[in-house]
Amino acid sequence: MKEIIAIIRRDKVPEIKQALEDIGYPSLTIQSVDGRGKQKGAMCAEMDSEMPESFCTTAKLKPTPSIYALEHTLPKVALYVPKRMLTIVVPDDLVTKIVKAIVRVGQTGKHGDGKIFVMPIGGAIRIRTGEAGGEAIA
Amino acid sequence: MKMIRAFIRPEKEQEVVLALEGAGFPSVTKMPVFGRGKQKGLQVGPVHYDELPKALLLIVVDDEDQEKVVNLIQTKARTGFIGDGKIFVSPVDTAYTVRTGEEGL
Repeated sequence: MKEIIAIIRRDKVPEIKQALEDIGYPSLTIQSVDGRGKQKGAMCAEMDSEMPESFCTTAKLKPTPSIYALEHTLPKVALYVPKRMLTIVVPDDLVTKIVKAIVRVGQTGKHGDGKIFVMPIGGAIRIRTGEAGGEAIA
Repeated sequence: MKMIRAFIRPEKEQEVVLALEGAGFPSVTKMPVFGRGKQKGLQVGPVHYDELPKALLLIVVDDEDQEKVVNLIQTKARTGFIGDGKIFVSPVDTAYTVRTGEEGL
């Protein structure tokens, strides 16, 4: 059993959900997170794959510093880009298929497409029935 | 590779992230969370706070950098008072970059 943590663009969520459904593994957890990568959250194109470069300079949509940084005037603030984090727990044999699907659908070719992490997971239990292990996620 | 999950004080988040950036680890995912620890929350006079706001940082690093990053978070996030938070480290098998589909950080 593996846990797939995918940090992706906000606007790609519906497509990725559809792609996972097509594979036949629709279960997932979605969280709103703020992220930064090698570009340190400063890239405008990261915000939205559809956004033209010129739009960034109008400062309507900028990477967001935390509320604390806004309240306190700091000499330097760390910037973040809003992202969606998907957590999917899958049987071992489905990992490659699901990773490939997320890469295929989530790709725009620009910085900020996100990262996927595959982690081992010790076990799973379905709370309703108490089933443990592979049955719990089947 | 290792995933480092650090539950820290929200007001320390900027300091920690900037220190990590300075040390060459700019990539971080953060989310606001609520939790409690051994002290079962916080008692201020008659008011009891069961769950306290924390910032959760997710950082994935190569094995050899784990100690360095954990130490850095520890020194920057510490105030010495109860509620400084916890750091958890878990193994990561593989990482993929969505833009290229390549393996690796």
